[in-house]
Amino acid sequence: MKKLIELDINGRLYEVAVNDRDLLLDVIRKKAGLFGTKKGCGEGDCGACTVLIDGKPELACLKLAIACQGKKITTVEGLIQEGGALHPIQQAFVDHGAVQCGFCTPGMIMSAKGLLDRNPKPTLYDIKHELSGNICRCTGYKRIIEAVQAAAEVWSKEGVK
Amino acid sequence: MADKDLKTKWNLTPGGWNLEGVPAYQDEKRFTQVGRSVPRVDGPVKVKGEAVYTGDMILPGMVYGKIKRSTYAHAIIKKIDYSKALELPGVLAVITGEEAPNKWGIVPQAANETVLAIGKVRFYGEGVAAVAAVDEETAEAALELIEVEYEPLPVLLDPFESMARAGEVLIHEDSPKNILHEGEQVYGDIDKAFAECEYVLEREFHTNYPQHGFLEPQTALASYDPQSGQMHLWASTQIPHYLHRQLSIVLEIPMNKIRVTLPAIGGGFGGKGEASIAEFVASLLSRKIGRPVSVTFERNEVFFTNKGRHPCHMKVKMGLDKEGYIKAIDFDNTLDKGAYSGWGMVVLFYTASMLHLPYEVPNVRFRGRSVYTNKPSTGAMRGLGGVQPRWALECIMDELAEVMGISPYELKMKNAIESSHTCINNMFVPHSEYKKCLETAVEKSGFLEKHGKLPFGKGIGIAGGYYISGTAYTLYQNYKPHTSVMIRVDTEAGVTLMCAAADIGQGCNTVMAQMVAEELGVHYEDVHVQSGDTEIGAFDLGSFASRLTYASGAAIKMACVEINQKIKETAAGMLGVRADQLVLKNREVYSMYETKKRIPWEKVVEAYTSINGSLVGLGNFSPPRRKGIDIVTGNRVQGANIGHSPTFGFSAQVHEVEVDVETGRIYVKKVTEAGDCGTPVNPMSVDGQVEGSIMFNLGACLYEDQKLDANGKHLNPNFHDYKTPTTMEMPEMDTNIVESYDHTAPFGVKETGEGAVQPTFPAITNAIYDAIGVRFYNLPITPEMVLKALKEKKAVEASSK
Amino acid sequence: MFLNHFEYFAPKTSRETLELVSRLGNKAKILAGGTDLMVLMKAKAISPEYLIDINGVEEFKGIVCEEGKGAVIGANTKLAEIQFSEELKAKYPALAYAAGEVGSSQVRHMASLGGNTCNASPAADTPIPLVALGTKVVINSLSGERELLLEDFIQNVRKTNLAEGEMLTNFILPEPVPQSACRYTYMGRRDAMEIDIVNMAVNIELETDGETIKNVKLVMGSVYPRPLVSKEVPPLLIGQKLSEALIEKAAEAAQGEAKPIDDIRASAEYRREIVKVLARRLLKETYDAAKGV
Repeated sequence: MKKLIELDINGRLYEVAVNDRDLLLDVIRKKAGLFGTKKGCGEGDCGACTVLIDGKPELACLKLAIACQGKKITTVEGLIQEGGALHPIQQAFVDHGAVQCGFCTPGMIMSAKGLLDRNPKPTLYDIKHELSGNICRCTGYKRIIEAVQAAAEVWSKEGVK
Repeated sequence: MADKDLKTKWNLTPGGWNLEGVPAYQDEKRFTQVGRSVPRVDGPVKVKGEAVYTGDMILPGMVYGKIKRSTYAHAIIKKIDYSKALELPGVLAVITGEEAPNKWGIVPQAANETVLAIGKVRFYGEGVAAVAAVDEETAEAALELIEVEYEPLPVLLDPFESMARAGEVLIHEDSPKNILHEGEQVYGDIDKAFAECEYVLEREFHTNYPQHGFLEPQTALASYDPQSGQMHLWASTQIPHYLHRQLSIVLEIPMNKIRVTLPAIGGGFGGKGEASIAEFVASLLSRKIGRPVSVTFERNEVFFTNKGRHPCHMKVKMGLDKEGYIKAIDFDNTLDKGAYSGWGMVVLFYTASMLHLPYEVPNVRFRGRSVYTNKPSTGAMRGLGGVQPRWALECIMDELAEVMGISPYELKMKNAIESSHTCINNMFVPHSEYKKCLETAVEKSGFLEKHGKLPFGKGIGIAGGYYISGTAYTLYQNYKPHTSVMIRVDTEAGVTLMCAAADIGQGCNTVMAQMVAEELGVHYEDVHVQSGDTEIGAFDLGSFASRLTYASGAAIKMACVEINQKIKETAAGMLGVRADQLVLKNREVYSMYETKKRIPWEKVVEAYTSINGSLVGLGNFSPPRRKGIDIVTGNRVQGANIGHSPTFGFSAQVHEVEVDVETGRIYVKKVTEAGDCGTPVNPMSVDGQVEGSIMFNLGACLYEDQKLDANGKHLNPNFHDYKTPTTMEMPEMDTNIVESYDHTAPFGVKETGEGAVQPTFPAITNAIYDAIGVRFYNLPITPEMVLKALKEKKAVEASSK
Repeated sequence: MFLNHFEYFAPKTSRETLELVSRLGNKAKILAGGTDLMVLMKAKAISPEYLIDINGVEEFKGIVCEEGKGAVIGANTKLAEIQFSEELKAKYPALAYAAGEVGSSQVRHMASLGGNTCNASPAADTPIPLVALGTKVVINSLSGERELLLEDFIQNVRKTNLAEGEMLTNFILPEPVPQSACRYTYMGRRDAMEIDIVNMAVNIELETDGETIKNVKLVMGSVYPRPLVSKEVPPLLIGQKLSEALIEKAAEAAQGEAKPIDDIRASAEYRREIVKVLARRLLKETYDAAKGV
């Protein structure tokens, strides 16, 4: 028996019919049609499905959709700024060459957002430690870390939502 | 950034491209678009989460396919009963191997794989049946209802056991020794050469069984239209054309009724360089039910189907003369092929060709064999055929330098080849800055000051490497161009490049846009790239063998000749000057002598197209068959397929490690790399490729290995226990692009995506030796191996006291 | 990889939760972070008929850390909260550190301290320092509440002392005594996302002279079906001032007690080696910390 639930994704309420067992990842992708959140492993090991739930980075592949009622879910699509401008983290990823195949990118950006929201001035170790659950096979991580450092600078100078 | 100076140098016209007064005709290297670190054209859509990958697509009426996989590594299939699955509501079709018996394989001479197993399974996880259902849940449930009866056969997991027991157990009936292929290549007189050597060392090396671990699992979406008989397949592949051709063979549909389209691709590293079962199954199911079918692998299926790097068992003998010049290499290689042939024959002979560079070797003997085992098949993986022999050779050279009492750097410099080098196997290297790579890496890392002088537990190691650039194994034994492009210029779409190259994340769409812009005299932002589609783009072999930048660059240059000629002729009339004195730069056409005579490029296009319609240029590229195939007799020269590589990229790396001598943990602290990639079309992308390469093989050197139990069942088909490096394992990386320009190459370019993976294994291995005095001959080098070796070393030292 | 069908409950109070736990018994699983549970369910290793999501129950969350009164940590407190809690970092650095080394950032924001214990994985990080700290767990059911030392709670691989109808609700950490210190360490193949090969915590209390060991507890993980509290180390060290020779002896004793297994992550032999190394390092580190060095 499916249940009708409401999910707040990127500030919009989605009314979706779910089974108790449905995972947030599948609901975000197939029911809300937000395909930016990726499934790389489905077992919580790669971080490609990272979304923010009430501001904290969590793995949508291990999260029941029904358990997310009343919570604020932010996906990569929710970062876009007024007039379609890129969020400073997104901009830094583009400028620093932190994107190659792009499959890890949304999850990586959401982890970085979770980190910078909590700690806007992270050390190199903080960045490495907090992004270590996001696997990237293309970049060797160097440019990703540089991008997060650059975004943190913009963050502390200009302040970001 | 450590290499800021070089960057500025390569960003030849950083703020603009005001070349007024510059005699551009005198300097073919004076680029405005090539050599700039521009952001990727697909960067913004990817960071926004708007890039569409195959698994993100939904077509009207689309349903889902799933594959039932074998639970035996080697067994006769006695019976498959899927009647219960068909009864499950929502199930639309079930197929088994018999429905598509035509064999596929990337190398046509050795194609031996069927879409789903027929009669017997040869590895754990091989597909035996597939289901289409209205949703994924139903498809997955249906798999549970398919009953398969097996009669187990002995499982052969080791290539030596496989050869020894071939009389008793055969993996393929038509391979009586369980050998896919064996071969020998002999150049010079090896025995005579060794007899004359002052220093000779012989060692055995064994590599591991790593996998690509691309983040996007294989995905395919097939849509068959029964009325027109047309199949459209969207797939996560590196090789639209090979896939196209193999679909045609398996489906028995002519190629002109099949269209392959590549959405965004989430990485490949060689693993998507063969067709995937996902693609065949989606197509077969779609044809059967007349609806679009989407098939996406789970992560464990990526491991089950593998196609990763071949474990190699190598016996290497190298001889030097009194001065330290390499005189001979004797190399014996047993490759673990896994269950099916795939790229096997090519990998076998690539490991042979890899012996001939980047050092001068006058006498070479190669003997090798690729052996079937009941493992998921090996295939192409970043640096195909190069990584394993390079590891062995660079390690044995480190050892030989020690025997001679000289620095390994000195030994490498002494033997390193230079431009215009012809190898004993006829490979011709038009241009090499390998020595400059070695010098730069050594200088920037302080190698000479540190090597042999660091405290116990700390070490530094050096290694070099190279890779082919611009060639590929040829599916067709003829002169068919490897790449074809079409460029369309008009007022409606501006500049559009149409081709079938595959951007799998490496960034070729950006680089191709830069090259088109350079050649036409516009900006890279003006160029639309339509790639990865067999219907829009003409023939292209695909993204592998580090061929694209070179091959596409050459084809683009050719396509632009005709366009530029027409633009110049039109502008000449408009400006009242001779066409041959016109320069195309910065969206302008101007006279190189009277620079005031100039006109916007767009105006010229408008003038031309308003009379003639769109301007179209065609270009193609074939690697020169320099010595590969004898043009008169048609005979193939030994090592032919690598031999006609038009040029080669080089890299040198210095790794600094710390070994925790109590736990055996190895920490790579710093990597200094210097690469010769010719002209870096996009230096930021080059650095990204190199950094990615280093981490890729750092992982395979220290952490990554697929493990099977005695029955051939995967023990770690997941990312918890198949351990790729994380951010925490990232060393400090200083990558340097050495100044290089290959005059024989379009824009002076060479590869960078695979050359830089070559030195990583040996540089780490040599650094570990420098740290703890132990040489390792097996991969990955685990903490357990380190501790065990240290204990043995202590025991030896104690007993010798 | 779909989960089996189950019925989902999201109680709001402790009472409601206990009623569900009591009524549904072994057919139900408690969903806290789900980072282990979901993986097990996806692999079809378990297929519970009911899931009781306790994330809506505020009473199961939170850290109460009062001066002189130890700490009480709710079972559903997320590991990230423990990792970043300034109070816990100051008072129980071993626990905060261990919590920060579990899985990834995402996992730590989801996974709970109670889950890390109740999952009863021999390789789990946080139970090791908790045992070393002398932590008690509070077990609740409709029929009442009982307390138990954590070291008696975890019994075997994936097996705890919980009876049907019971659930773990709180951890009670005793106030660290003066001149004591507890430290944690682990060893894996990588420095992140690891399933530990060996992990260990040491808690040392000194006499008023600031040098003589009054009490010591050494706890090992990943080398036994449950957290292994060394029996041999305390008699060797109590009443002694730590010396290189004693460290060596104690480390060898710990090594002798460890009963690891061979698996894909490491051999038993290697794990035993590592026990000795970690014991040596951690005893020294903890002793120095207790001395205030």
